[in-house]
Formats: sequence, structure tokens, C-alpha cells
Amino acid sequence: MRLPESLSRLIYNAIPSHLVGEILTKRWADNLVPFLLLAAVIAIFGTAINGFFAPASLLDTTRQLGEFLIVVIGLTIVMLGGGIDLSVGSIYALSVFMSVVGIYLWELPASLALVLAIATGGLCGAFNGVLIGYLRLRAFLTTLVTLIMGRSLYDILIIAWGRELQMSPVLNDRFDYIGTGSLGGLPVSILIAGVFALLAHVLLSRSRLGWHISAVGGSRRSAYNAGIPVRRTVFLTYVISGLSAGIAGFLFAARLSGAGPGTGSGLELAALTAAVVGGNSLGGGRGSIAKGLMGAVAVLTMTNGLIRLGYGTGSNQLVLGFMLAFAVVLDIRWAKNRHKVLAEVYVAPVHHRMSGDESALPNGGGAYALNDRLSDASPIALGEVEGPEDVILDEDGNLYAGTRHGEIVRWFAPDYRRSEVFAHIGGFPLGLAMDHDGAIKTCVGAMGLYSIAKDGEVTRLSTETNRSWASVVDDARLRDPNDCDIGPDGRIWFTDSTTRYDAHDWVLDSIESRPTGRLLVYDPKTGKTKTVRDGLRYANGVCLAHDGRSILIAESWACSVHRYWIDGPKAGSMECLIADMPGYPDNINRASDGCYWMAWLGVRTPTFDLSLRHPGFRKRMTRRLPGDDWLFPNINTGGVIKFDETGRIVGTLGDLTGKSHPMVTSMREHKGELFVGGILNNRIGRFRIPGADSEWTSWKSYWSGKTPPVAEGDPSQAARRRDSAETALPEGRA
Amino acid sequence: MWWDALLDPFRGKAVTIPPMDGAFRPNTLLETAETFAEAAHPEALLVHEGRLLVASGADLLAFPLEGGAPVPLHRFETPISALAAFPDGGLAIALVAGEVRILGGRFDGRVVTEVAGRRVHAPTALATVGDGVLYVADGSARFSADDWQSDLMAHGASGAVLRLDLVEGDGRIVADGLAWPAGLLVEPDRSLIVSEASRHRLVRITGDGRSKPQPVLANLPGYPARLTRAAGGGAWLALMAPRNRLVELVLSERAYREDMMAGIARDLWIAPQMSSGNSFLEPLQCGGVVTMGVRKPWAPGRSYGLIARLDDRFRPVSSLHSRADGRRHGIKDMAEIGGVLFAASRGGNAVLEIETGAA
Repeated sequence: MRLPESLSRLIYNAIPSHLVGEILTKRWADNLVPFLLLAAVIAIFGTAINGFFAPASLLDTTRQLGEFLIVVIGLTIVMLGGGIDLSVGSIYALSVFMSVVGIYLWELPASLALVLAIATGGLCGAFNGVLIGYLRLRAFLTTLVTLIMGRSLYDILIIAWGRELQMSPVLNDRFDYIGTGSLGGLPVSILIAGVFALLAHVLLSRSRLGWHISAVGGSRRSAYNAGIPVRRTVFLTYVISGLSAGIAGFLFAARLSGAGPGTGSGLELAALTAAVVGGNSLGGGRGSIAKGLMGAVAVLTMTNGLIRLGYGTGSNQLVLGFMLAFAVVLDIRWAKNRHKVLAEVYVAPVHHRMSGDESALPNGGGAYALNDRLSDASPIALGEVEGPEDVILDEDGNLYAGTRHGEIVRWFAPDYRRSEVFAHIGGFPLGLAMDHDGAIKTCVGAMGLYSIAKDGEVTRLSTETNRSWASVVDDARLRDPNDCDIGPDGRIWFTDSTTRYDAHDWVLDSIESRPTGRLLVYDPKTGKTKTVRDGLRYANGVCLAHDGRSILIAESWACSVHRYWIDGPKAGSMECLIADMPGYPDNINRASDGCYWMAWLGVRTPTFDLSLRHPGFRKRMTRRLPGDDWLFPNINTGGVIKFDETGRIVGTLGDLTGKSHPMVTSMREHKGELFVGGILNNRIGRFRIPGADSEWTSWKSYWSGKTPPVAEGDPSQAARRRDSAETALPEGRA
Repeated sequence: MWWDALLDPFRGKAVTIPPMDGAFRPNTLLETAETFAEAAHPEALLVHEGRLLVASGADLLAFPLEGGAPVPLHRFETPISALAAFPDGGLAIALVAGEVRILGGRFDGRVVTEVAGRRVHAPTALATVGDGVLYVADGSARFSADDWQSDLMAHGASGAVLRLDLVEGDGRIVADGLAWPAGLLVEPDRSLIVSEASRHRLVRITGDGRSKPQPVLANLPGYPARLTRAAGGGAWLALMAPRNRLVELVLSERAYREDMMAGIARDLWIAPQMSSGNSFLEPLQCGGVVTMGVRKPWAPGRSYGLIARLDDRFRPVSSLHSRADGRRHGIKDMAEIGGVLFAASRGGNAVLEIETGAA
């Protein structure tokens, strides 16, 4: 069945299918399944049981929830640290016993009884912790043993003291209030549990210990190598679990004012089920308090619901067992296949119809006709440099380029045989621009905007912009900063090409063709970065116009160049300068004759253009083929295009043999020569431009005749400023 | 497991192709082979009366076997698509125009355009048996012999093998419904081995044409073309283009494929080709991106050079390759004589010369 193009356009462009993949990249996406389960359990029992939602019923349920939730939180923390605690049931029972003994036999105040219960729990937890954390016994067996030991101890104690407890005449109002009272309509126990959950959440997500626990659970060895005290961290998780069971035991004792033989038996199964059903991974490292909360509510609702429907303890345990087994299977399958699901659904292409039928064929006769002239370029650093996306030269003629190793390398004039690592930044340095003081500003792929002073010192300028309100992925982060240029006022205009892919996956953005590129501006006065334009299909090269009143922006996958006004009456507006080119534009730079050089990273092919009109085809392609087989735009053939201020194409340079410069991502004119870079190339080309001004340099064209802002306390600069005071200052700079 | 059936609708269905492994393990034997002669678009080879005949476009050239300048034998109005010879020295020459002409011998001047009521549409291979029996592989009833890509992309299966007895004058359709038969080999028992290009397999057809074609070798990693008897037993099989996952995907994508065929020049299709890298308008796949000045030899491509050596039961035993970074692509035909295998690389515009001891 063939879908009409307009319908396919509607389906693929109107439905935000890319959000599925973006949501899956989020950690909280793990919560969706437990959340649905919780909703289902509440819906089922809410309809099956009359009066389920009645206030009295809810109050009773939440009272139990308070105790149960605290135990589940403790267990969640242990599981997050990669362990398991089966002994929570016995610790709980012992704490109940100690609370009751404290109140009814020793006649202690409620607060001291609470301390007694917590101390009992903490002591038992510490016992587990020493055995598992420091002596490194197996968590499962150890806590099974302590479960049995604790349970036996409790049985002995309750037989010995049970009668006396029953006979005790003591009445403790505060103790009873904690058990049965309410505050603002909510039982005290759930309030305590709420505070406890909040504290635990802050501990896990905001504190050093919390991060240590996640790290140890995620990978014990890596955590150890990172210098985290693994044994102490594991020890502490069991102590926390013991303390939780202690608090919960105290609340139980307060609610029932006593202890019986069955207290806390089977609690470990219920708590474990709750933690796992909530989505906490048994393998450790993945989990949260929110998950524990959802699991606890689901399990408690179900067990209570089953009892109220008339099912006994046996069937209750059976259902819990099934739930646990199901959750464990789901946990393992999900952890194993999540990245596969993500890889399959992440690429979400949109429909896009390219227009323009100009040809770049050498015999096509059009203005864009490519040639072989660039194959004459002599190579610099052949085989030594890897991935010089952009190149720039200083006034002494030294050549700088970023490499895929995260370095900015300097080659020394005049022959460029000697080189040194000028600065190591990391990431993938892409676009370069030179400031009035000779500092290099660079967009570093996957990192942000950086500045390298003349002495090689690296300063981070910007790694984030304002976040848009509707974004799922964090679009404040600069994902693929690509090219930058410096305005006359010192503001740095730069592009972030896509919010969907990391810098090294940049070509995948063309398959999706989703307009997520942005134009950003960094203001050195405030140190803030602002998004001024978004919705560009791979925003790429940026170049300040010769008059300094507008910037030119290349929009790669749209094959267009735009002019964005930063000054004058049209400031803040954008207009299209060149549209529908037969190639994909990359960096743009100034030429000595008042024109501009533009690099083409590739050329359009009819098959790829057609595939843009068939988003379903591209979607299936990314799902059914391995990445190496995907259809790409032709990035094996590029070139250099020269255009004037009106957008008219003046000339082209190409290398159709593909031997020297298959893909061109940048070029810089310097004293009559053109230096050519390519992000996938192993050389920098050096090409003599016939008839070019042999004195012109890019830096002079930006900064000569202009007064740089004076750094205070720098006498030489201040002197220079005085000297040039007579010459006309640019507008607004005096 | 049983749940796979439930989960399958939600899973992507991977497009797979047979790997180049085992007997098809890549090497550079074709890429490094001696060039016997340069020739534009060599389509067919034939050793005939001590000379190597090469069909190059519309020209029939005769090269001395020891090398040297060719003698032009004949120029036709349309390109030649296949060659065969009779024991008496007569030549059968198939033309893209859809006819087979006999040159020399007792049937000199005969022109075959129809066999048993079927018009010869795309003669892709010829074979002779005895003194006067001619087999013609007719690639398609819709497209001409140089338009295999269109037939493949249209899921064509209208090819046939025709038998014509020039002495008796009776013709017969031995098999039809074939997906572009592109090579013929007559077995000693008079059955025929036919390479069915678009279904990437070899089938056996009995001489009387009464039983259905039986596959003898399937799941080839390329599209098979001509077959030639090998000197030491068995056969040589030319594979004119590689299989490619993207092409297989396009074959299953009706809307895209139809638009592509309607709006884009055939050389630029996502389809197997005899050569690639001729224009920057050709499709590019991710693995084919030139990185640090290198085109990876394993890159998925539209063209490839591949000859397989088959044993006497048509199982592949070894192969010769020109990989994605090479130029000797689109091997259409071979001829072996005196320990030398000649191979016509249509995409590489050359006739190659390989010592068969090396294969």
C-alpha cells in the first residue's frame, strides 16, 4: 500500500516520534513500567473491592504503608549498592520487641523507646554490614543466616517475655498517638515515612554517600579504582537498612501496642517484591526511592486487597512470588535489551522535500560546476594530522588546526614542517576564530566554546545555553558546537548543529533531517550564552560579514546560507542569502576581495534527496540495516565555493579525483594562499589563489584599524589606544 | 523461544546477505591481475581459432592470444551481448537489439529473432551443442539485454532459456519464468546449468525442459553471470555485482523504488552496477566514506569484481576478487585456454589475464 506523500509528510512531521527515543535515553524512563503496574493494581482492586477508596479504608492502608515503605526504602538502598538484605523481617521483629519492652516493661518515654528500636536495628544492620562489607561474605547467604538467627532469637524472647508484656498496666499516650493518631488527616506513621523517604531521596541523589552507593552497585571494581571506599560504603548500606527496619518496627509496635509470634514474618518477601517490582535492579546500580515507593504501594495494595477479597495468607504469598518472578525476568530482559530498543527507535526521520535543480557537474554549465583545481593543492602534515575540521593562521603565518585527538596543533611558518601541540582540550575542536588579542576561540565538539590564549592557556567560555521549556533531552547542553566567529563588540556567535546527536555521529543527523540546529551567542561581559535562533537543519559555518553588521550562517542539510542581522534596522532578523545549492555547506570565511569562501562538505545525490521524501524508508533503513550500510549524502566529494555579498556564486574549486580533498569542511585565506581542511582528511591543503591580495590576512580584515578593548593596567595597550584616538573609531566603541 | 512469535511484530527485521566467507573469502587476485588488453565495456569473451574474441560495445575484436593489437572483425549497429561458436567455426553473436546472428560456418547469415513463438528480447548468454543446436538465455521479456538493473528492480521473472535446432529448424522454450538467466553451461548429459542472476543462484534444467529447474547452488553473495567450463574440471562463474543490504532493502520498498526508477538516471540508482565511483551523484553508504584518505575495501558497494571457481558438483572452492577499493569490477565473462583465464571486467574496461595455477 502506497502512502500519498502529503499524508506521509503529515504523519512523520506532525507526530513527534523522536520523543520516544529521547524518553528512552532518560533514566526515569525505567519508572514507566512500574508506574503502569501500580496504576493497574490500584484500578483492579479499586473496582473489585467496595469501599476501597473510602477514607477509613485509605487511612488504615496508609498507616500500614508507613511502616512498609520505610523497610522497602532501606532494602532499596542495599540493592542499589549491589547487595540484598533478607534479614529485614527479623530485624523488624526484634525492633518491635525492643520498643514494646522499652515502653511496657522498662516504662521508658516514647522517644527513648524509639532510640532503643533504632539502636537494635542499627546493631543488627552493622552485624550484616561487617560480615558482608568488611569480611566480604556473600550477601544472600549471610542475610539468610541472620534472618534465621534473628527470627530464632525473637521467638525465644517473645516466649520468655510475652506474658509479662501482655500483663503490663503501662499506658503511654504519646506512644499510642504515634501508632493511631493523625495529623492533618494523615496518620503519623505515613508522615514519618514521608520525611524518611525525602531524606533518603536527598541522600541518594544529592549526597556523596548516595553517589558512592550507586557507583559501587553499578560497578564495584570501577568504584574501587575511582577511589571510593567500597567496603565502608557496602557496610553503610546494611546499617541504613537496619536502621530503617528499626524505625518501621517502632511504628508497628506503636500501632498494635504489642508484639506477637508472627510479627514481621514474611516481610522480607513482601519488601523484596516491592523493591524489585518498583524497578530497582537486583544487579545493583539502578534504582531510586521513587521506584521503591511505587513498588511498596503496589504490593501493599495487592496484599491488602487480596485479604479483603477473602484470600488467605498462602495465596497471598503465592501471588507475591509470581510478581517477584515476573519482575525479575522483566528487570533482566529490560537491562539487557534497553540499548537495542533505543538503537532501533532513536532515529526518527522527517519528511523533507529538497528543491533546486542546479547542478555541480563539471560539464553542467552552472555556476556551481566543480573542477579539479584543488587537486593541485600541496599537502601540509600529510598523514600526521587527523581531522583538521577548521584551520586558522596568525599574523606570523603560523597555522593552527584542531584534530580528532582533542588537540590544537600549531605548524610553524613558512614551510609548516615543524609542529607542536599548541593546546590540548579534549573533545573534537571544530570551528576556530581569532580574537583581537590573538587568542583562538574554538567550538569543541561534544564540549562547548573554549578560548586559547596566545600562551596556550585554555579557558572554558560556555558549555550551556538556556534550556527550552518543551525539551525532553537536556538541550541546554551544547552537543555539537560547530563553528564560531567574533562580532565587533566581542560577542561570539556560534552554532550548535543538532540537539539529537553527538559530535562524532553528525552525519546521522542528515538521515533524520530534523531541524534542531541553533545559533547561539556568548557574551563575554556576562559570561552567559543565549539561543538566538533555532530550527536549523544542521547549523554549521558562521562568518561575520565584511561590514560587521550581519553574520552568515550555513545550514548544511538545507543546502542554504542565511544572513542574520546583528546590527542596524534589521537587527535580529534572518534572511536567506543562498538557497537550494547542489552541495552541503560547511564553514564560511572571508576572502580578500570582499567575497566569501564557503566549504562544501559534500554534494547532494538524487537517491538521498529522494529518500528525504520517504521518511518511512529511512526509518526502516535504520531499523533493518547495520549502520555501515545506511544511505548517506555523498560526503566523499566536496569543494570550495566563492560567493559575494549578494549571494552570487563567483567561483568554485574542487577535487573530483577525490585523492587529496574528497571532503572539504573549511578553508582560510592568508596572504594570497588558501589553506584547506577536512574533518575526515589526513592533510591540510595549501593552494595559491591566482590574483589574490598577497598581503591580506583574515586577522587584519577583522581587527586592524579597530581598537581592541583595553585591559586595565596594561600601559602598552593604553598607549596604543591613545595613539589611535585620532583615527575614526568604529561606532559605539569610543 | 515461543515468545519470539509475539515479539516479532515489534522487532525490526534485519536485512541479511550471505557473507563473503569460506570459498568467497576476499583477496586481491583480480585487482592485481595482469591486464591483457584495454577494451571499452568488454561484455563477452570467446577463444576462437587461436584468437581471443572480445565483444566491446558494438565492436567484435580479435586479439592474438600472445597479446598485441586487436583486429576489428565486425561492427554491429547495437552492442553485442553474448558470443558462442559452433564446431565448424561459425559464430553466434547476440545483440542488445534482441537478435542472434550467425557469422561464418554453414549457417552464415542466419538471424534469429524468435524461437517457438517467443521473441528474443534480451539475449544474455549463448551456448551451442553439437553441430547445430543453439541455446539462448533470454533475460527478460520486458527489458533489453543491457538493462538488467531495471528488470531486477521491477522484480522481473520473465526470462527464459530457448533451444533452437538450426538444422531441423525447430525451436522450443526449455524453461521460462526465470529471473534474468545470464549464463549457460551445457553438461555432458545434455542438461543445462543456468545462472539465474536476480535470484542469485544456479539452476539445472534438463535438456527436454520437462522438469522444473532444480537449484544446484543458491544464496550466492553476488549476482551470477556467465559460466565457463574450467580446464581442470568444474566451472568458472562470473559474479557481475555484489549483493548489498541497502539494495535488498530498496527491493522491498515499493514506493521508494518506483520513484527512484521513474525519476533518477539508471546509473545513479541504488542498484547493482558494473562499476561505481564515476560520478559524485552516485549513492554513498556510510561504510564507503573516505576517511583519512582511505576507502575501506570492505565498504558496501554497488559494484565488485568476483569470479568463483566451482567444482564438478558446482560447489564453490575458491574465488578471485577486486574489492570496493578496486576498479576491476563487473566481471561478465571468462575464457580459459592453456592455463590462462581471461576475464572481461566490464566496469574496469579491461580484459584480465590470470594464471589459473594461482586461483
